[in-house]
Order: sequence, then structure tokens, then C-alpha cells
Amino acid sequence: MNLELIRASIPEIIDGLGFTLLMWLPGSALALALGLLVAILRHYGGPALDRGLQALLGVLRGTPFLVQIFLLYYGGPFIGWDFDAPTAGLLGLSVYGAAYFAEIIRGGLAAVPRGHVEAAACVGMTRAQTLRRVLLPEMALLILPSTINMLIVLMKETAVLSIITVPELTAVITGIGSLHFAYAEAAFMLAVCYWGLTEATGLLGRGLERRLQRFRLA
Amino acid sequence: MTWAVLSLLLAGAGVTAAISVVSVIGGLLLGIAICGASLARSRALRGCAAVYVSFFRGVPLLVQLLLLYHALPRLGLDLPGIAAAVLGLTLCTAAYQAETLRGGFVNVPAGLIEAGRIVGMTARQIMLRVRAPIALRLTLPAVVNEAILILKASSLVSVVGVADLTRTAQNIASSNYRPIETFAAAGALYLLLNIVVGGAGAGLGRMVGRGR
Amino acid sequence: MTAPAIRLSGVCKNYGTHRAIDGVDLVVQPGEVACLIGPSGSGKSTLLRCMAFLEEHDDGLIEIAGDPLGFAPGENGRIRLPDREIARVRRSIGMVFQQFNLWPHRTALGNVSEALRFVLRLLRPAAERRAMAYLDRVGLADRAGHYPSQLSGGQQQRVAIARALALEPRIMLFDEPTSSLDPELTGEVLGVMRGLAADGMTMVIVTHEIGFAAHVAQHVVFLEQGRIALEGSASAVFRRPWNPRLARFLETYLDRGASMLIAPEQSDGA
Ligand SMILES: Nc1ncnc2c1ncn2[C@@H]1O[C@H](COP(=O)(O)OP(=O)(O)O)[C@@H](O)[C@H]1O
Ligand SMILES: [Mg+2]
Repeated sequence: MNLELIRASIPEIIDGLGFTLLMWLPGSALALALGLLVAILRHYGGPALDRGLQALLGVLRGTPFLVQIFLLYYGGPFIGWDFDAPTAGLLGLSVYGAAYFAEIIRGGLAAVPRGHVEAAACVGMTRAQTLRRVLLPEMALLILPSTINMLIVLMKETAVLSIITVPELTAVITGIGSLHFAYAEAAFMLAVCYWGLTEATGLLGRGLERRLQRFRLA
Repeated sequence: MTWAVLSLLLAGAGVTAAISVVSVIGGLLLGIAICGASLARSRALRGCAAVYVSFFRGVPLLVQLLLLYHALPRLGLDLPGIAAAVLGLTLCTAAYQAETLRGGFVNVPAGLIEAGRIVGMTARQIMLRVRAPIALRLTLPAVVNEAILILKASSLVSVVGVADLTRTAQNIASSNYRPIETFAAAGALYLLLNIVVGGAGAGLGRMVGRGR
Repeated sequence: MTAPAIRLSGVCKNYGTHRAIDGVDLVVQPGEVACLIGPSGSGKSTLLRCMAFLEEHDDGLIEIAGDPLGFAPGENGRIRLPDREIARVRRSIGMVFQQFNLWPHRTALGNVSEALRFVLRLLRPAAERRAMAYLDRVGLADRAGHYPSQLSGGQQQRVAIARALALEPRIMLFDEPTSSLDPELTGEVLGVMRGLAADGMTMVIVTHEIGFAAHVAQHVVFLEQGRIALEGSASAVFRRPWNPRLARFLETYLDRGASMLIAPEQSDGA
């Protein structure tokens, strides 16, 4: 793929990048919210609910994202879930991410020292206040590194959505490549794009971690 | 679900298992080498290791597979799909395993190394007799975890034409028009493989864990 | 006659089949400083945590200034009080932990003002003014903007004391407040506590600082296997009735400030 070709394709590539971000950022936000909900349900919801959710998470974490997406996209219409590819992609990514976030958050909640919660009880905070003012913020700090890691994982998983024809970066660039019989160049360009995106995310994440260092006890 | 379909899926699961096992073992060996480079004294070696790890962890496996599948023939290396698949998975998991190994080495308590020095061990002896065994023990759970990740990630080899479990399920679903039960069955087989890997890992852990 | 600050009658606490507190009766008068001493595992922390209702006692009655804490005697057995009532009674109790338990995501000022804002519902300026006053009282006004990770252990513990004091409790409970501090930092914390005692605060202190206990406490309680083995005034417990088990216990402290038992006029060294 020569430079001329790249230049001519820039608008398409930007569209593809936009679609990637559209899958990644809202998908991650939904995944985080859903994971938080599941973790809180497991934390407060009693043993039966806990076991049920644990089994569900086990299935989601034990099967490939691609198989889940196939099931949702190709199987969905048979039970009335006739989503288009981007919707199915966003939904699939959110549920898949939520399964991992739920575990990360559960670990984070468990790692908040019990004494910090007792201190909240001693100054008269209610359970809801303790959750909102002590448990959640401390948990958020504890899980920051794994959250950033998971965001990078999800960024990379968006590439898989090209297989169900979501017009994101991978789909667009491989499309251009096959149009001009420049497969290798297209793959190379893809690698460079994603490497840049994940490195940038990691860099921002580490910067954030450093800035939040003072909130952390030894 | 007919027997014919099930046996096709089982064959696919066999391919998935084989690809994954070979890749994880290959990746461990390559990972040890990369980890060695990342702990080396030479700056150039350390730099190469860092770039390797960053690239293979930063680029989606799907893209890595496409790159190998399309770029290698350009370099005169025309690999069949399955070889490209195994190579891709190996290169990728090696980056992750190198990182976990490095973490293991770095986290060997300094006191244990000093204890080796006090009793007069050489640097080499300390590395082979103290650091390496402790680091391996520390990282074994992460390697088992990595094996499970690779098992799932191997579903992407379907894009380079390998008839693994996912690809087989895809083929079946597109001919029998029963995607739900077909993909659900594939998912169940992945879970089964997970359990096998997890069990093997636990057994290995018990073996290595003796004398802890 | 006013009600005692704390009255425990027949308090029991079980962990599974293990009886950690086994029928404790104890009265702490307003303005009194009571020290709980005893071997490790004798139930000191458990008893103190019951007084803060961090552990729910399985039997017996705990009254704080005459109000039952957690459970009230009913016609057939005891009844659990509503959460709101528990919170009300608990409000007169402040607690300081061995591990400080400051919230790491809040500054010193934030730690002290948090409950003022969200439990007492003071507006932020008022809450912070009051928090500053208490930080000043423990000598840390100049550290208000520091996060716990930026404070020494002794400073962290003083912030924790300010956090408890700011809610203006009538009773302060301390569980080994200096046990996780370097020896040279215990003095500043004991100093703050001595100041509180001088101001007439009712305090129950679990401590291994026998010298401090002997000097500051009016009331010493020696706990053993979940029971009170001996109690009385500091001088009575430490000097006169040479209970052999207490003597054995104190021997282990001869190196740690308990030398005052031999020469009672010395300071507690803190
Ligand atoms: N959360 C708990 N679960 C089970 N046993 C406990 C728990 N807390 C304390 N214990 C037991 O109760 C006894 C008293 O403990 P504790 O009050 O901590 O003693 P102390 O503070 O005097 O060292 C000990 O035997 C201890 O093992
Ligand atoms: Mg204790």
C-alpha cells in the first residue's frame, strides 16, 4: 500500500477509528457499570444469588469472546434479538467486559481493609454512606491498574468485531487492503494503529496511577 | 444435536487443544529467553525485550495473525495456516509469559538472595539454585492462567483458515441454521477444556509446590 | 445519682463454639480512665469492640449512660433495638484502632470532617472549621492537607483521635493505640491521651503501656480467658494483691515501662 493510497483512504480510516472508539469507550463504560452492579449484588445479595452470578461469570470468562459474539449475532435473531452488527458488538463487548470487571471489583472490595469500614461505622455512617464514601473510592484506587489493563484488553477485543462486519478500524483497513491486493501492508498498518492506541492508553493510565499515588497507603 | 455434528465439534476441540498446548509450551520457552533478555546487563538486549513485549501485548492477536499470514509469504516463507496460527499464538503468549516470569524474578525476596551470597554462592549459582526455582514457583499459577487465556484466544485462528473448534462451529451453524445450539455446544466444549487445563495446572502446582 | 458511663452486665461473646468473652460485669464512671490489660487472646479487643457495637454481644446487657446498646431486655429474652436507636446510642462513643484505619483517599482534614459533613450534616465550612479545631488539639493543624500516606504513624494515630473526638463523644475507646508505632512515636500519642484524661474524658484503653496505665488510669481491669480476673484502682491492682497470674503477666513488661512498679515515683517514660 503506497503512501498515495494511504492518503486517499484517510477519511475511511478515520471513520473506522471513530467506530473503534465508539465500540470501545461506551462498551467499556457499560462493562464497568454492569460489572459494578454484579459485584455489589454479589457483595450484599446473599449466597444463592452469589453462586448463580458466579456460575454465569464463569461461563462468560471461560468461553472465547468470538464464540459469544457469534452466539449473540447469529443466534440472537432466533429468539427475537435481531441486532445489527454494531449493536450486537457493543452489547457483546459490554457483557464480556462486565464479567471481568465484576471479578476485579469484587477483589477490590474484598481488599479494602475491614478496619476502614469499621471506622466509618464508628463515626456513624450508614451502610449506604460507607459504600459510597469509603468502600467505593478505596476500591476504585485499588483496582486502577487492573482496570487500565482491562481497558487495553477491551480495546484489542474490538478488532474481533470486524469478524461480524462491524465497520471498525480492522474491517476498514483490511477492506482497503483486499481492494488493492495489499494484505500485508494493511495488516502492518493495523498493527501500527493498535500499538499506538494501546501504548497511549497505557501511558495515560500510568500517569494517572502516579498522580493518585498519594492516596495509597504504603 | 446429532452424533455427526458432535463428533465434528469434538474433532475441532482436538485441534484447539493441540494448537493451544503447543503454543503455550513454545511460548514458555521463548518467554524464558525473552525474560532472560529483559534481565540482562546489556541495554540493547533489554530494549529489544521491552519492544517485543510491548508490541505483542499491544496489538490485537487477530491483527498479529493477519500480519503473519500475509507478511511471511512476502519474505519467502509460505506457511500453511495452521503453522501461522501456532507461530502467532506462540509469539503472543511468549510476551505475556516473559512479563510474568520477570515479575517472579523481581519479586524473589532480596533476603533469600543475600542468604545465598552469605553462604558463598556465585551469581550463577544464585540464579540457578535460588532465583529461578523460586520465580518459577511464584509464576506457575500465572502460566496456568495464561494457558486458559490462550485456549480462548486460539478461537481467532479461524480467520487464517484453521478448522479449530470455533471455525467448525461456524461451518456447522451456517449449514444447519441452528447457531444457538451449535455455538452453545462449542462454548461448553471450551469450558470443558478449561476445566481440564485448570485441573492439570492444579496437579502441576501440587507437584512443584512440594517443599514449600 | 447519674448513670455510669458504661455498664456491662453478664456480657458474653462467642466465635463459633469459642467463648471469647465469658460473662463480664464492668462499670466505668463518667470521667474515669479505665485500662484493660491482659495476655494476648484474653478478649480485650473483643470486649472493647462490643462496647462500640462493632461486635454484637451474644448475651448480657451493655448500657451507655443508662441507654441499652444494641439489645434491650425484653419479656422473653432480649430484643434487638432498631438501627436508628443503635446509631443514636453509639454517637456518644468514639473509637481509636491499633491500625489507625484512616481513609487513604482523604486528607487529614477530610478524614476528620467527613462524618461531620455526612453524618452530622454540617455544611462544609462549618465542618472544616470544627475539624481544624480538633486537628489543632492533637497538634496537627499544619498537616491538615496531608494524605495519610504522607504522615508518620504517630501523626496518623493523632488524626484518628481527632476524627473520633470531632464528633464530641462522651466516651473514647482505644484499642492498643500505640502498638503499631515505633517506640519514639508512642510518646506523642500517649501525650494526647493524657491531655484527654486531664480534661475529664471518659476513656477505656486497651494497652500494653503498663507504665502509662499505672499513671493515668483510675481503674485497671485484668482480663484473662474472657473473664475479669482482677480489677481495682491502679495502685491496688499493680501493687497490693499480688495475684500470681497478674504478677507473671506483669513480669513480661518489666522491660517496658513497668519498672515503675519497683520505683513507683518514676515517670512513665513516655
Ligand atoms: N473474628 C474472630 N473470629 C474468631 N475468633 C476470634 C475473632 N476475633 C477474636 N477471636 C478470638 O477471641 C479471642 C479473643 O481475641 P481478642 O479479643 O482479639 O484478644 P486480645 O485483644 O486480648 O488479644 C481469641 O482467642 C481470638 O482468637
Ligand atoms: Mg487485641
